[in-house]
Amino acid sequence: MDKPQTTAAADSRRPRPRGGPLAGVRIADFTWVAAGPLGTRFLADMGAEVIKIEDASPGHVRIDHIRRVPITRGGKPMPGGHEVAGFDIDASGFYNNYNRSKLAVTIDMTKPEGRELCERLITQCNVVVENFAPGVMERWGLTPERLNELSPEIIFARMSGFGHEGGPYEMYRSYGPVVQAIAGLSQISGLPGGMPSGWGMSYMDNQAGYQATNGILAAIYHRNATGKGGVVDLSSVEAGVSLLGPKILDVTVNDAVHRGDRLPCGNDLPDQAVAPHGVYPANREDEWIAIAVMDDQQWENLKAAMGEPAWAAGPSLATGEGRHAARREIDRHLGEWTKGHDKHELGHRLQAAGVPAMAVQSEADKEVDPQLEHRGLYFKLDHPACGPSRFEGVPVKFSRTGRPIWRSAPLVGEDNDYVFKGIVGLSDEEYDTLRQSGVI
Amino acid sequence: MAQAGPSAPPFRGLKVIELSQDPGGEMAGRYLADLGAEVIKVEPPEGAGSRRVGPFAYGRTDAEHSLNFWFYNANKKSVTADLATPAGMAQVRSLLSDAAVLVVSYQPKHLGPLGLDYDELQRAFPKLIILSVTPYGLTGPWADYLSTDLIAFAGGGQLHISGYDDHSIPPMRPGGNQAYHTAATFALAGAEVALLQRQADGLGQLVDVSMHDCLAVTVEMAFAYWEYQQAPVRRQTCRHAQPMITHCALFECADGRYIYSVVRLADQKPFKALISWMAEEGMAAGLDDEKYLNPQYRQEHFYEIQTVLECFYLTKTADEVFKGGQDRLIPIGALYGPEDLPADEHLAARGFWKTAEGEEGPITYPGAPYVFSAFAMAKRVRAPRLGEHNP
Repeated sequence: MDKPQTTAAADSRRPRPRGGPLAGVRIADFTWVAAGPLGTRFLADMGAEVIKIEDASPGHVRIDHIRRVPITRGGKPMPGGHEVAGFDIDASGFYNNYNRSKLAVTIDMTKPEGRELCERLITQCNVVVENFAPGVMERWGLTPERLNELSPEIIFARMSGFGHEGGPYEMYRSYGPVVQAIAGLSQISGLPGGMPSGWGMSYMDNQAGYQATNGILAAIYHRNATGKGGVVDLSSVEAGVSLLGPKILDVTVNDAVHRGDRLPCGNDLPDQAVAPHGVYPANREDEWIAIAVMDDQQWENLKAAMGEPAWAAGPSLATGEGRHAARREIDRHLGEWTKGHDKHELGHRLQAAGVPAMAVQSEADKEVDPQLEHRGLYFKLDHPACGPSRFEGVPVKFSRTGRPIWRSAPLVGEDNDYVFKGIVGLSDEEYDTLRQSGVI
Repeated sequence: MAQAGPSAPPFRGLKVIELSQDPGGEMAGRYLADLGAEVIKVEPPEGAGSRRVGPFAYGRTDAEHSLNFWFYNANKKSVTADLATPAGMAQVRSLLSDAAVLVVSYQPKHLGPLGLDYDELQRAFPKLIILSVTPYGLTGPWADYLSTDLIAFAGGGQLHISGYDDHSIPPMRPGGNQAYHTAATFALAGAEVALLQRQADGLGQLVDVSMHDCLAVTVEMAFAYWEYQQAPVRRQTCRHAQPMITHCALFECADGRYIYSVVRLADQKPFKALISWMAEEGMAAGLDDEKYLNPQYRQEHFYEIQTVLECFYLTKTADEVFKGGQDRLIPIGALYGPEDLPADEHLAARGFWKTAEGEEGPITYPGAPYVFSAFAMAKRVRAPRLGEHNP
């Protein structure tokens, strides 16, 4: 809050009327950590007025946790789960990336005046989103019925691991990797017969967020047409199971089993007799290239690109079945060849030859990826505590819809004045009283 | 379960034409169908390529038994048209005359030969939303590069962060076509935004979804570590890639299955709950000593803790650890296989599974990612036979 700013910089951060396709959508956003803020990120990028409601209690004990993830500009890398005493909760780059284009206010919900102010804010909103542990909204009296009284036909999107309204696991705790485990997404990834490799990230925090966005957009479309709002109940586990794809039908129709000596099947394709299909070493330590030969023509193209080596000439390798049967031997030969090459150079060369191939890209590679640069995917904005920073942009291009991204992430309580006076309509006196008593 | 209200799903009455044969476009089309749209899939006379991809039902590998096709094309209609002929293209244009959305997955180099020109289509059909879902988008130096789920994950950054602690093992593709699914999820978001605009002003537009872009923004901490600290992350077995090596998160149980459990230093409550559970069973092995309540001490002596935990978990099945832990508010997950899910009591109690009437018996599908109180999703209908809805 008290970071020195030039007037021009302060002006550029001032809330403004939002354009874009979701102009007029105002969201009371109780979400925190990853899945929830990712659920409202796209909505904010599309012009919805997203108001993050964060904890105003002394020390901001229950503020959005990722404000405390110590990924700061120039700081020493630490594990994401660590908390650091005296950490500047405006300075997390992780938070900055997930919360651009949003407003932020602080309210102490443990105080009756705080809950009352929150209700007044909700009367001015037409969507509420939350991803707390089960029971938190109810503890504040913010049930679907109460929200509907405050703002008739409001849309109430609830994100949780196991869904609201029923089932024995309703109170269970989860976060991305737990969801991935229960939904089957970890078990289906990795080498056969051993530990699954699963995911190196919380895929389901991303997907749950994106699916919540989609559910909210469908609910808005429906309300526009019928006048009816209502609850959107997003269970991350159910979202995960719905993403298992054909594998889940293989279970329900064929009683298939995804563990044992054959499945999961590493980088092979489980259901298609294709080869080579894998990830091969390049010429530097721990650098790799993915190659996926999907048909006989692409195999011929690969052979030509390799200079027709003798090992690849056998007629038994001319068919997908033949190559699939010999896939480990092909992998060995192909890996011997790829490890003499730069991953990028080889990827482009194979693509030019008509072979699906791509360097395994790190974030360093992606920063200079010419395709992403052409698409203008990343964008840059300044931030008072993080400095000028790149952001993950919107991966969808609209021919007639602007991208009204306007500001980096809010500082703690940065928009209290604008929201509580301008939107809720508090007088200067009321505002000052709430401020002095620590309610906001 | 939320009560289904009286309303029809939101996109009832909207017509969608689909020219897609890969899981990106096909899943986007299915999402629209599940939300009520009438989705007409236009297939070449020999059938979409997705009909030839396994797994297959009942051991039958013909074009009507691909579970790949059944999954991605449920709730759609199928008509056939040969786009290479003027008559076929005329048929598509006739379908577009009252359509709200065209879902299409051709990379740019294929558009010219087919005579598909999106500028011209927008002029001819101003109300039409063209939802293009392609590997790299419609523009840029890689726009015509070949892709697959594996190739897309390589470019997007997911392969770099997924695999094993042992880096002599190559990065591992996370399973289940998730690269395509990520594109499809964003494609639905794009379609919905364009539909909201169309609802307001009656006009369509071109929505250009790039799988590469969608994946590029879906790497979580890897981006922040690089952008803010120029810290490359390293892949680690079934847990977050981070700049430093972290403790293992998978533990084997008595039944040979695994559970995922991370003892976070910042969270005291789950740690205490875990230790008191172990103490109840006489297996705390000294971890109930007060010194372990100090996160710093815990960090320095993690390998002792890990050894005791390994022993404790080995005395129980994965399911016992999952439910016993969760009943004590410890966020533990069992690594279920897809085959464990149909019998799961929670999903059953939520009414998650939806059954379509198949020609050879019922077909059980997973439900949608979301449940709405204001309307029910479209009733699940089996995928169409090739040309089943030809006029």
